[in-house]
Amino acid sequence: MHIRGRAWTFGRNVNTDLIFPKMWFRPAYEPGEMASHIMVGIDEEFPNKVRRGDVIVGGLNFGCGSSREEAAACMKEAGIGAVIAPTFGRLFTRNCINVGLPVVVSPGIDGEVTQGDEIEIDLAKCHIRNLRTGYEARLPPMAPESLKLIEDGGIANYTRRVLEQRRQAARGKLK
Amino acid sequence: MHAISKIIAYHADRTSVEVGEIVNVAPDYVMLNDRGAARAAELLRRMGGDKVFDPERIVVVFDHHYPAIRPQDAVSQKKTREWIKEQGISKFHAGEGIGHVIFPEKGYAFPGALIFGTDSHTVTNSALGCVATGMGHSDIASYLALGYNWLRVPEVIRFDLHGDFRPGVYAKDIALRIAQLYGEDAAPYLGVEFAGPLTAKMAMSERLVLCNMVIDFGAKTGYIQPDEITAHYLSQRAPDRRWTAFTSDSDADYGSIVELDVSEIEPLVAVPHDLSDVRDASKLNDVRIDEAVFGTCTGGRIEDFRVAAAIMKGRTLAPHTRMMVNPGSREVYMQAMREGLIDIMMQAGAQVGITGCGPCSGCHQGMLAPAENSITNASRNFRGRFGSPEANIYVASSATVAASAIAGHIVSPAESMSD
Repeated sequence: MHIRGRAWTFGRNVNTDLIFPKMWFRPAYEPGEMASHIMVGIDEEFPNKVRRGDVIVGGLNFGCGSSREEAAACMKEAGIGAVIAPTFGRLFTRNCINVGLPVVVSPGIDGEVTQGDEIEIDLAKCHIRNLRTGYEARLPPMAPESLKLIEDGGIANYTRRVLEQRRQAARGKLK
Repeated sequence: MHAISKIIAYHADRTSVEVGEIVNVAPDYVMLNDRGAARAAELLRRMGGDKVFDPERIVVVFDHHYPAIRPQDAVSQKKTREWIKEQGISKFHAGEGIGHVIFPEKGYAFPGALIFGTDSHTVTNSALGCVATGMGHSDIASYLALGYNWLRVPEVIRFDLHGDFRPGVYAKDIALRIAQLYGEDAAPYLGVEFAGPLTAKMAMSERLVLCNMVIDFGAKTGYIQPDEITAHYLSQRAPDRRWTAFTSDSDADYGSIVELDVSEIEPLVAVPHDLSDVRDASKLNDVRIDEAVFGTCTGGRIEDFRVAAAIMKGRTLAPHTRMMVNPGSREVYMQAMREGLIDIMMQAGAQVGITGCGPCSGCHQGMLAPAENSITNASRNFRGRFGSPEANIYVASSATVAASAIAGHIVSPAESMSD
């Protein structure tokens, strides 16, 4: 999986309350609705500034706190190519994988990127590069199961497929 | 193997697992709160699932927005009630309290169990020697459809707690000390076990506070080895429950072991807006308190009410200070009434509300205005968590919150206890 995009940088311990404030929670969302609230806890204008294909670069413990899936889903919906940080909150990591958004652990990356830099990532080769500065680094390999879920477009697609296999198996038994 | 690995292996139908490995596991119970149930049911439909895999393992708790404040919440709760009926889910608790308070109370949490929930503070349950962790809505919807979830086996860090509590110091102060020493990312993706001589004699209520807070320094689950205190708690709560205590094999099962001398800890306060920015309560006397927020899954148990009422008895809130109290469960509320604790707090001027999450994450009444200061025995001082993003939230123990509400500014509870 290959990603290239313009970087938006954020600080340390950015929690999911800030990425997707609770006031925008709804039981069901219209298409585009979640993306229209991305990062508004930090920058109310961010949904208007961000473009499809951009990448988000955070500091240590990016996405800590509440389990809200909207924090990952709003990024996926906004077309974010990848979210990159030295470490992530565990639930945010999990939610990114499950919505099919590349969540890239890159030690020290927060010191190597300034806003607007062009970042290139090759997930299969575990490689990241800052095209403006020439900075390059190897990425810690992602678990193959997680990478596969991301490439498949997330857990919804996986679940649909397994359910379908089960239905076919059940029909097979009936015959 | 660590006990956490053994619990995961057991629920993956495996004899062993390795740290870092991803396995599919079938949990004993999955908690859906009001929002989680509505979203997961919707996502389950979108994934093409019509029936939940096993209705017996699902526990639905209305705690965040119940009773509904907004019409949209009433609509989604109505839909959820219909969905529960249609799916044959019988374990349904509306208005009985916060999921993380009633799970141990009702015996859903037990040693060796694997528990998932649509809320980050699901980790609270791990105080009973189980593996308990939060998940997202798609994640839980996938479980509802398939009967399993993927789980990475975590490395475990152990905190060995030594020494004794100084007067006015509680488990909450230990959690704040860990955040102070090691940061909000003290244990990313890790299991956090509490052990040592102090943990061994710590009451279950205090153990639940410790494990509740592990998510707030990044952990996947907490863990405390089940012992006589655990067995006694379960015998009171769920005498019919059969359970197995798993044990870790050796110190080699830990990524690291940290010694912590609790007798060095003063009553502590995390200041806005960072849980790892922690100061001594006694050095924050110039922080005026507009509102004390008392309750939540961290500080809404009967023991918290006993501690607060002992401090507040015969006293009144400072004239400029208000106090919002939300008991963590119906059982806590009724017990606090029987013991006269609610009476003491109301005599002091506190406003006692419904059971549930309270103002934490904006669930119930008690929002803050810009520039107001709040002190709370909840777990998080995130910007905007109690209303205005311009308000300030200070996180402390139940004792520090009660003492500060009386004083009208932050004080160490040790001072009011020596009066």
